[in-house]
Amino acid sequence: MAFIKLNDLEIEVEDGTNVVEAARQNGIEVPHYCYHPGLTRPANCRMCLVEPHVFFPPAGAIVPDRQLATGCTTVLRTAPPERKLDGKYDFIVYTDSPRVKKAREDILEFLLVHHPLDCPVCDQAGECDLQDYTYRHGHDKSRYLEVKNVPPKKDLGPDVLLYSTRCVVCTRCIRFAQEVSGTGELGLINRGSHDEIDIPRSHDGVPIQVLDNKLAGNVVDICPVGALISKDFLFKSRPWFMEKANSVCSGCSVGCNITVEYKADGVYRLKPRFHEDVNQHWMCDDGRLGYHYVNSDDRLQLPLKRVDDELTPTHWADALSVIQEQLSEVEAENIVVIGSAQGTNEDNYVLQQFAHEVLQTTQLGLFGQLQGEEHKFPQFTIEADKNPNTAGARTILGSANGNVVLEGDALWEKVSGAKVVYLVSGAPERPLNEAEKAALESVDFLIVQDILPSEVTQLADVVLPGTTFAEKDGTFTNSTGWVQRIRKTIDPPGEARVDWEITQQLAKQLGSEMNYHFAGEIALAIAENVPDYADATHQNIGDAGIKLADNDQ
Amino acid sequence: MVEERRILYEHLDVPDINTFDVFRQYDGYARFEKAIAEYQPDDISKMVMDAGLKGRGGAGFSTGLKWSFVPKDIEPRYLCCNADESEPGTFSNRYVLEKNPHLLIEGILICCYAMGIETTYVYIRGEFTLGKKMLDAAIKEAYENGYLGKDIRGTGLNVDIYSHPGAGAYICGEETGLIESLEGKRGQPRNKPPFPAVEGVFSKPTVVQNVETLCNLPFIVGNGVEWYTKMGPTYADTRSDPPTPDPNTGTKLYCISGDVNEPGVYELELGLTCSELIEVAGGLRGKEVKAVIPGGSSAPILTHYELDTRLDFTSLTLAKSMLGSGGIIVMNETRNIVDCLLNIMKFYAHESCGQCTPCRWGTPWVRDIVQRIADGNGRKDTITRPKFGVAENGRWGDTGETEEIYEDLDLLESVANNIANVDTMTWNTICVFGIAVSWPAVSYLRKFRPEFEATIREGKLVTLPIAEATVPPEENYAYQQRFVPKEFADLEQPSEE
Repeated sequence: MAFIKLNDLEIEVEDGTNVVEAARQNGIEVPHYCYHPGLTRPANCRMCLVEPHVFFPPAGAIVPDRQLATGCTTVLRTAPPERKLDGKYDFIVYTDSPRVKKAREDILEFLLVHHPLDCPVCDQAGECDLQDYTYRHGHDKSRYLEVKNVPPKKDLGPDVLLYSTRCVVCTRCIRFAQEVSGTGELGLINRGSHDEIDIPRSHDGVPIQVLDNKLAGNVVDICPVGALISKDFLFKSRPWFMEKANSVCSGCSVGCNITVEYKADGVYRLKPRFHEDVNQHWMCDDGRLGYHYVNSDDRLQLPLKRVDDELTPTHWADALSVIQEQLSEVEAENIVVIGSAQGTNEDNYVLQQFAHEVLQTTQLGLFGQLQGEEHKFPQFTIEADKNPNTAGARTILGSANGNVVLEGDALWEKVSGAKVVYLVSGAPERPLNEAEKAALESVDFLIVQDILPSEVTQLADVVLPGTTFAEKDGTFTNSTGWVQRIRKTIDPPGEARVDWEITQQLAKQLGSEMNYHFAGEIALAIAENVPDYADATHQNIGDAGIKLADNDQ
Repeated sequence: MVEERRILYEHLDVPDINTFDVFRQYDGYARFEKAIAEYQPDDISKMVMDAGLKGRGGAGFSTGLKWSFVPKDIEPRYLCCNADESEPGTFSNRYVLEKNPHLLIEGILICCYAMGIETTYVYIRGEFTLGKKMLDAAIKEAYENGYLGKDIRGTGLNVDIYSHPGAGAYICGEETGLIESLEGKRGQPRNKPPFPAVEGVFSKPTVVQNVETLCNLPFIVGNGVEWYTKMGPTYADTRSDPPTPDPNTGTKLYCISGDVNEPGVYELELGLTCSELIEVAGGLRGKEVKAVIPGGSSAPILTHYELDTRLDFTSLTLAKSMLGSGGIIVMNETRNIVDCLLNIMKFYAHESCGQCTPCRWGTPWVRDIVQRIADGNGRKDTITRPKFGVAENGRWGDTGETEEIYEDLDLLESVANNIANVDTMTWNTICVFGIAVSWPAVSYLRKFRPEFEATIREGKLVTLPIAEATVPPEENYAYQQRFVPKEFADLEQPSEE
């Protein structure tokens, strides 16, 4: 640990921390544009200038260093005893001296000379570093009278637009494409004040390569100003009108930490949230842009039952009593209950308890999204398993003694011979193959709990409208054993209900005394009954998640 | 009258000196052979340190000291010869490359021997097509005659030289910009530290030396340190107690251009004055000297009051200017300083690499302001505002006097100082390009302010008579602060008594 004097504070930081991070850890803002903790540090924006104080032998005193230093590249380390300042400090640095403040003002003035000042129509307004720092550290007037550069607006790729006029040439996007995605589509063209970010183009301006990789959306997040804009979010909403909830992406088994930004009428965008072990600062575009099904007009809003071979809307009481009728006539060995790798641990626990205690069947299955492709990048991996909770669902469904969790062919074989199947899906756009279709068709009475009309719901006798990750509380367990929270943001559409509530309602209909009130209560039951999950209560998990003990040990 | 002292240029005009055979006749490679026969590598480093050789590229940093920073335990180490001579007003390296390239190769060999370097890159300015052709031919000859390649002259020394042309960027003459360009990246300077001596080409220790610096090495080795230190003054560095010697030894290739009768490159001992140099170059063309740029276009200008300044590294630094690359531009009474500044600012706005914020957007801004003034569009509504001070009634307030404010001139000085502050010598930029912009801008403005004011008042370029155009010495910040160094020999005498 290095002992630092930062302004008037005496702080301890880990060796190797830079001044920007050390200040941030202590609640002091050092403004910066080009520095990003996940990328290399070119120190080209010159915004994070700080004033180190050094020992000056002729004066025998500690004096401000002649040149200001960039905070991002000034790394704090324990000094050898003879180099300690004042006998105890490893480093003395000021982030609020008059020289530093003057330097920030000057840099901001330069950054704004060619800026179009179009905040009223800019998507970034409200979450723009240029705007915020100008308010906090800048001038109130511009002294620039000359003609402004007006570089063209550019279409860089399927989801990314570049408003070149707003660009501060911090090169974060270029470094991202080189270092994290390793695809290197972006670069600088021209020189000096005519510097522009661009993709490779022919002399006629025809793109040779476009910004079309599965991590491209991250450049919009890391752009500190309104230069790189997501087409998906363009002109949809002002950032300050949206509410935010910390959650986890449901796109694959990586379990990227995200922030869901939403209004009452739906989810507006997903942004990655830092998690050191899971996703660093990033998320993929499959996850980022994959939320649209949540807002879909096609969402199942009412329970459906089959009347004259046609699925007809009904009400909950009717749907549940139809199911009760069917279940009461069938023996336990002819019932199969299938949980979902798209569902939370809580959903699956209640389902498992329902199967075990009410239906007294030990025949459980696991259903989920089809396998996708794995994509590996230098600093990021998109996994092939497109379900957020395969690991959790598998453990939780099989947690009661005697439960057998079937998957794949074994499951469909079992389904073929069953009389009643209760299938929880929740996977958007899940096609069925021939074997799966044949198996489900052979079932006498198929109960499907899903979010959207699909090939599965077409075969159902009763359809119960469930919820997506954005509409419920709970936990997902990712492929590396991190148990992480998802949070309710918007209300489910129409009469749709949280999945475990539906299961519990069904249990009550069948005479069970199961009575959970909220997801956290189920998590406590999981913690009590599932050995691996002993610590995984919602209080413990928080925003950071907890890692399950390694099963190998 | 000061005489030319030709050392590097001694045999420049010998016919076919660019060929190996003729070069051999004039002591060629004999100094290198002497080095490997008589000295250990460390001896050479010590000789260079003792000779007080300062880097001729612009910064004037002690070559011996630079070599001492290179870690000896990291392999490989590289030598980068900076032949990207792009400072306006400088054209001395070009002659060496075009006429006597073997001299450079010999200098490189001595440096490589001293530093244990096996690979040298010569980064040549792209416009020097003839220079590159001559150097490449010389390198080929040296390989053929066994002075380059593996096991040179049976000593086990291996040296390879690669010449690499630049693509026309001024900033690639900055040592780290050069290294980036050499590595095949955009020519943008790196953050320092680490300095190239520790982490340079391909992240390995690298010595970056100017052509002229390397060409001095054969003569230091051949003629000895004592012979070398007799040329040029050695000043006393009074910052330390007791004062230490500050050598400005050797000769310098002064490139003199502008309003002189015989412009060209003159090799002279360091330490002659501005006026003496103008004499050497055939005298002034015109009536009077209005101004002199002493070290390439980025150096602060000298007025006619400062012509007694000695043209060496220390004296010019203490006169708030710099010797830089030795490109001296003389201006006579017909020259308009606003126009000169505009010319220089256009160059720097064009050449800014655009990597860091202050320079990227500051340099074109400065150019635009000067352009506006030169076009006659400088803000004419010069504000006349009450001057505040101790008034007649003895209280703080309006003194009844007024002062004229030329907004654009204050703006120009402020913007230039925001890129790099010439008073405190601090810059917010990555490299010293920032100071290379604000130095001329601020010094021209402060030393020739009446001409700028007249241009704004009249709405067109006005060339004032020299006496009116120049700020008198008592109001000249640099003249007031300038310090004339004492020679070390003079200083020691009183203490002996």
